[in-house]
Amino acid sequence: MNRIPQQPIDANELAQVTDVGRRRFIAGLGASAAIVSSGSLMRPAWAQSTLNVGVLLPTSGFQAFIGKSCKLGADIAPNVLPGLGYGMPIRLMHADTETNVDVARSRAERLINDGAHVLVGAFDSGASAAIAQVCEQKGVPFIVNIAAAPQITEQGYKFTFRNFPTAIDLVRNGLALIGDIFHATNTVPRTAVFMHVNDTFGQAMARGIGAILPRLDFLPFKVVETIAYDPAARDLSVEVAKAKATKADFLMLVCRLNDAILVRREMVKQRWSPMGIIGPGNPGMYEAQFYNALGKLSEYCMSNVPWYNPKAPLTHSIERAFRKSFPKEKLMFHALNVGFTVEAIMIAADAYKRARTTDAKALADAIRQTSIANRMMIGGPIKFNAKGQVEGIKSACIQNLKMRPTVVLPAASAEAKPVFPMPGYRKA
Amino acid sequence: MLLMAVLTAALLILPAFADTYILSVAILILYFAYLGQAWNVMMGFCGQLSLGHSLYVGVGAYVSAALFVHFGIQPWLGVWAAVLACMAAGAAIGVLAFRFGIGGVYFALLTIAFAEFTRIGFDHLRWVGGSGGFFLHVAQREFNDVLALRGSPAMFYYVMLVATVAAFVFCAWLLHTRIGYYWQAIREDPEAAQALGINTFRYKMLAIVISSGMSAFGGVFFAFYYNNLFPEQIFSMSRSIEIILGPIIGGIGTLFGPILGAAVLTVLAEGITELMAAFGWEIPGVKQVFYGACLLAVIVFVPRGIWPALARCLGLESRGKGPRDG
Repeated sequence: MNRIPQQPIDANELAQVTDVGRRRFIAGLGASAAIVSSGSLMRPAWAQSTLNVGVLLPTSGFQAFIGKSCKLGADIAPNVLPGLGYGMPIRLMHADTETNVDVARSRAERLINDGAHVLVGAFDSGASAAIAQVCEQKGVPFIVNIAAAPQITEQGYKFTFRNFPTAIDLVRNGLALIGDIFHATNTVPRTAVFMHVNDTFGQAMARGIGAILPRLDFLPFKVVETIAYDPAARDLSVEVAKAKATKADFLMLVCRLNDAILVRREMVKQRWSPMGIIGPGNPGMYEAQFYNALGKLSEYCMSNVPWYNPKAPLTHSIERAFRKSFPKEKLMFHALNVGFTVEAIMIAADAYKRARTTDAKALADAIRQTSIANRMMIGGPIKFNAKGQVEGIKSACIQNLKMRPTVVLPAASAEAKPVFPMPGYRKA
Repeated sequence: MLLMAVLTAALLILPAFADTYILSVAILILYFAYLGQAWNVMMGFCGQLSLGHSLYVGVGAYVSAALFVHFGIQPWLGVWAAVLACMAAGAAIGVLAFRFGIGGVYFALLTIAFAEFTRIGFDHLRWVGGSGGFFLHVAQREFNDVLALRGSPAMFYYVMLVATVAAFVFCAWLLHTRIGYYWQAIREDPEAAQALGINTFRYKMLAIVISSGMSAFGGVFFAFYYNNLFPEQIFSMSRSIEIILGPIIGGIGTLFGPILGAAVLTVLAEGITELMAAFGWEIPGVKQVFYGACLLAVIVFVPRGIWPALARCLGLESRGKGPRDG
């Protein structure tokens, strides 16, 4: 009859009882602890296999700055996802598209050949469109993190999904938020002067605004003058003087970083103090260099862009992971890039969790059924329509307050109230 | 000849053995070899430096794509319109430059200027999508439709292979005609050529028109292979540089140079990426640095390109054919 221990027994005693040597017992105990702590025993069999996610981003070439910013999001995703219930192993396979369509296509082929089950990327519309074709031919799901060309999801693709607003939605959301700013601050500006950088992006935005603004009859203002300027200009005094001469109530500015700094400096020099400066869907005024270059003069500028919800629980966990991985960086200066890249990888993980297989078709079917309410970016839940496009992604009004981009609208996500009209210059 | 036969056979059966990644790399090699050959007609044969060949690729791509999307005209018909449009563009540049005696660096600057303002023009041309890009509809097909240039990578590979071989044969033929000899005379000494009675204007014009027409086909291929066109990308200066790097590395003015150069550069580029991946290194931009180093090495050690040096080693010069002849 076996001896049944009545008292707690130590390791030596247990080893004697079970006829296992002390060293073997301790080794076995260690191994068991390792297995249990890694969660392998608690994971179902399907989750033991790894989901290979190919991440295609332009980390070299002229889009390298933004590509690297997106990559920060990809790098932290594996640390964040287990806390969200996506504990299955995920392997990221990085590839540099070199800001080149040809390279993007061949890198996508390579990643799929190397065993990628799903692709994520590629920041640029041209590269994304090229990758989408490869994915369609191979039957591998492709989740677009950032790319605004509407045509990407208008081709009837079955394996391409996009969690980013189209260019039209970006402009529409940005303009609609201008109305919200006026409503929230009880102001009724009647006139605006529209300045825009005269490059590809600026022209596209200008055309979008020209097409959509007349239809938004709830907006109380009219554009009294449109002024285009050269993206490489070193002096914008004439353009700003021209804008000032219109006596418009506020400045609607479609810019990039360097010209945004030039315009702002010139406004101070010329003592032009309109009610506000609003970017209807462009970068420039919320970037780290804008604050560094202008100091307090950067204050009160507004940008209506897709942004993360600072109050969302997911944002907090991502911010913690981000701070831990990149102590020298601040999430707020990578908001859009990190947010949409993390979400794209989360969509892949979520589909894998439900599909319970790495089979491409099953993964694509699962992505189509995605419904993720706990998201980082402002907007409705992540749900794909029949074309593979997530609808309802909103823009936020970001105002520079206390030298940082601060969400002021929509009210549900706001960290502060919008300041409009902005205070005049006291000393400049 | 034996080497050529083996190479041709290997290229013909490649799709049967290669996976799609290898095939996409092979397509890139052939694509740049073809465009390099087209550029070589102007610079290598006739001595006129063009740094704006992306203009012809872009115009060719847009013309054929627009005809296909808006009027349903098949690419093999559209390609003629593209070739004509590019020839007209080339002729316009040629008349401006050669009639008024613009040559050398100033001609190169003129070609860049034309490519640049064409890009700006297409940025505003809403009929073809403007700066927002022009997309060709992509449909899933069960079979290869060669007439519509819709199909698998293998089909595109064969199309580009035939085009590259045709360009090679055409250029080899050209080089041994009177036109070819006149071009070489103009390249070596335009004043002397003129003194000998060669109508330099006419033959320079012929070079630019043929080169631009050949480049147009590269554009048509690009449009139907990638199915999206952005002025910012297709007319960019970097694309022009990509086109000319192959012939420079391989050997300007030679027939095999553009092919060898394109193969060396593409394989090196992919090789570096693979090597980096194997070692787990992530150093963005290292490929471009390596490209620059290669170019520097070629300029310093084999200034006439790899092919002439290789031809010397293989003893091909001794048959009375200089390396410049291929």
